[in-house]
Amino acid sequence: MVCLPLDAGAHKFRHMADRRLREFGCEQNLLSRPDGSASFVQGDTTVVVGIYGPAEVKVSKESYDRATLEVILKPKVGLPGVAERSREQFIRETCEAALLTALHPRTSIVLILQVIHDDGSLLSCCLNSACMAAMDAGLNMRCLFCGVTCAIDLDGNIILDPTAKQEKESRAVLTFAIDSVERQVMMSSTKGAFTTAEFHQSIAICQKAAESIFQFYRDSVGRRYSKS
Amino acid sequence: MSSTKERVGCVVLPGDVLTCGSELPEGKRDKLICGPGLRRDVDDVVVCKSGILRHKEPNLYWVDSQQTRYVPAKGEGVIGIVTAKSGDVFKVDIGGSELATLSYLAFEGATKRNRPNVQVGDLVYSQLIIANKDMEPELVCIDSCGRANGMGVFGAGGLLFKVSLGLVRKLLLPQSEVIQDLDSMFPFEMVVGMNGRIWVKSRSTQQTLIVANLLESCEHMTTAQRRDVLRRLSQNCL
Amino acid sequence: MKETPLSNCERLFLLQAIAEKKRVDGRQTFDYRNIKITFGTDYGCCIVELGKTKVLAQVSCELVAPKSNRPTEGVLFFNLELSPMASPSFEPGRHSELLVKLNRLLERCFRNSKCIDTESLCVVSGEKVWQIRVDLHLLNHDGNIMDAASIAAITALCHFRRPDVSVIGEEVTVYSVDERDPVPLCIHHMPICVSFSFFQQGTFLLVDPNEREEKVMDGLLVIAMNKHREICTIQSSGGIMLLKEQVLRCSQIAGVKVTEITELIQKALENDKKIRKEGGKFGFAESLPNQRITAFKIEGAPVNTSEVEETVEEITHNTVPPTEIVPSPILWASGTAQIGEGVLNTWEVEEPHESEEADDKSMEEEEEVSTTPRHERKETVILSDSEEEEVIILNPDKTEKKFQKQASNLHEDTASGSRKKKKKKPSQLVK
Repeated sequence: MVCLPLDAGAHKFRHMADRRLREFGCEQNLLSRPDGSASFVQGDTTVVVGIYGPAEVKVSKESYDRATLEVILKPKVGLPGVAERSREQFIRETCEAALLTALHPRTSIVLILQVIHDDGSLLSCCLNSACMAAMDAGLNMRCLFCGVTCAIDLDGNIILDPTAKQEKESRAVLTFAIDSVERQVMMSSTKGAFTTAEFHQSIAICQKAAESIFQFYRDSVGRRYSKS
Repeated sequence: MSSTKERVGCVVLPGDVLTCGSELPEGKRDKLICGPGLRRDVDDVVVCKSGILRHKEPNLYWVDSQQTRYVPAKGEGVIGIVTAKSGDVFKVDIGGSELATLSYLAFEGATKRNRPNVQVGDLVYSQLIIANKDMEPELVCIDSCGRANGMGVFGAGGLLFKVSLGLVRKLLLPQSEVIQDLDSMFPFEMVVGMNGRIWVKSRSTQQTLIVANLLESCEHMTTAQRRDVLRRLSQNCL
Repeated sequence: MKETPLSNCERLFLLQAIAEKKRVDGRQTFDYRNIKITFGTDYGCCIVELGKTKVLAQVSCELVAPKSNRPTEGVLFFNLELSPMASPSFEPGRHSELLVKLNRLLERCFRNSKCIDTESLCVVSGEKVWQIRVDLHLLNHDGNIMDAASIAAITALCHFRRPDVSVIGEEVTVYSVDERDPVPLCIHHMPICVSFSFFQQGTFLLVDPNEREEKVMDGLLVIAMNKHREICTIQSSGGIMLLKEQVLRCSQIAGVKVTEITELIQKALENDKKIRKEGGKFGFAESLPNQRITAFKIEGAPVNTSEVEETVEEITHNTVPPTEIVPSPILWASGTAQIGEGVLNTWEVEEPHESEEADDKSMEEEEEVSTTPRHERKETVILSDSEEEEVIILNPDKTEKKFQKQASNLHEDTASGSRKKKKKKPSQLVK
């Protein structure tokens, strides 16, 4: 990635020649037991998601007016820790906003994510695969959502879809969940120090990147229904 | 309305807006019936499931999506498995989020003294009379005139298996190609529940297994592929 | 969540079909389902698919102190997890009997059979040895978890490479992947479990039962064997009585199956090695089945960010700067300062003189109420043990006036809140 500081006086922000999302792929309906399942691959980061719902719920957890959404994220090695719990919360809040849970009161929707390989941008890969699994399960959704991660390195360049190595060397990592209707930010999770200007620039860049991801969703669903 | 008609047969995703009611002038607005997968959002019709947009004259639109999980809807005929007998009702599993209730009086010719012969684990084909998101679903095995009309306990000797809801809808079409093709092979009995459960029975175990496997796999096959498989099978069997 | 119950007609049909030597998916009695092995980018990571049953395995290693009774041996740790994804009946956090049984069988199969040379894992005797940890996750349950798990575990162990270590005198150097090539584990033999399910009081058996067959079977026999026809573990469960000839016959069948499976594993390992050496692409991303209609892949997408400037300007313009609730730290006395207003106490401890209706009170009423405590503060300094009580300031005479002024500011700034909230706010200060 080359940094081109154009006219440093006039432009506040540094430009990148081109920003790329790593190659991504997805597979839907790969598991036979869950109601919906999907696996999303971003570069080498792979996440598999299984979703059950609307299914029966324990009386202690049921909600009279909406479906109870539960998210479980399982790391590859070891027991789930605080980092997994915090990611689960991010994913859960994004899904609550996107799924029409009011249509299924007193039921539960359970989302189980398994990390297959983590090579950076894990939270955004989880969000993308969760959205594809929800579509595969035929759950009613208000809008689609996608996750985009960007990292701000020590020179101030904004790198899109960083690998694990790039994340380690950068001074801040920001993940945004963006909705499909108005391209607004649904959730943001940040780590590290950055200025407000850099924050706004990252949002704008991620919104642009979200376009490609939504187009990818459309193409893969189109391919799936191409035979019927 | 014209923009919606253009999108019939195309893939739509949740969040897509089909019509903008506010754009059309007052006089030109038509009535549009939203089927499954579409919902009304003030003046717009918004898609909430991913799938193909379908249209039926004059103004009915819906989204055809692939799904495994059944959500109970009133009036549908489903295959249930009796899980418990409690007092006057049977608790039946229909594959939804709650167990449905089936009163023992809801069978043809059943009275307080003449109880129907239903055991735990039996298969029952019944109709949903109450099925909404706020209440526990209820089933009956009689129609409005009090006749069984094909509903009730069944299942000895056949095989029950689960398929996706899309395939079930395809099978229940009046002129279903799949059924016509299979008919030409060998005779078999079939009960199709809208909750994705199918029961088949044929003359021998082997034939039943063949029919079951065919139905499970023809979901992702085109017509040509299916006919090809059937042809090869009939050559082998005969 | 409850699983769909098995209906009587299904059970009867399955048993009848098995009596006629027919299986639901068309297999013969001794046939295995299709086994597919894919490797990940890391060493020691693989996914095994046995029909529709899917297991993910990951091997990792760590330097630890050895067990006191075995100072020269490394440690092997196996952990199989039944993910709630695999079946609706698997609940997170609950250790079912099935889980315990499978884990125990895995341990007996691999650890007790000494398939891995634990002596070679020793770095410094009595101080540092390698702990090899194998994590198995069941992703989809369609019967015969044991076989799939054992294939995944042994394949991952064969695939794994540990960092190279050199011991010079007292110094131990662990080389990273870039410095020296990682070293494979020393594996003597490859034990693989083969499961047999029994029907009709132990007279009829099927190899590799799928989920439905497992539900109607009478009992299960698991034999773990390696390709040298050595039995590593044998376990029979379900309470059926087996004849000696049955068990011997099963062991012969297992021998044949294990040889086939071992060949498959070797081939897969070789393929992966070849691809890595040639520098081709490997990993799960590559193994995405592109021909399937449900899978889709695209190459890296460039994102055109040249018009980003206008969007950024718009965002910056539209954002409302946060209200300055917290100006700067307020210094009460040397060593005592306040930043912010403290955190709302969520313990919901009911004060006896407070009620829930306080929430509905308007701002004016709250201010009215708060004037009376302010009065009291002028006269007495209330010391108390409870955290919800008034603030204890170290130099009350100097700073009391300041506090009262500040209290009015605090009241104005907070948008809403009950009396409870007002009282508890200042208590966060002095500790």
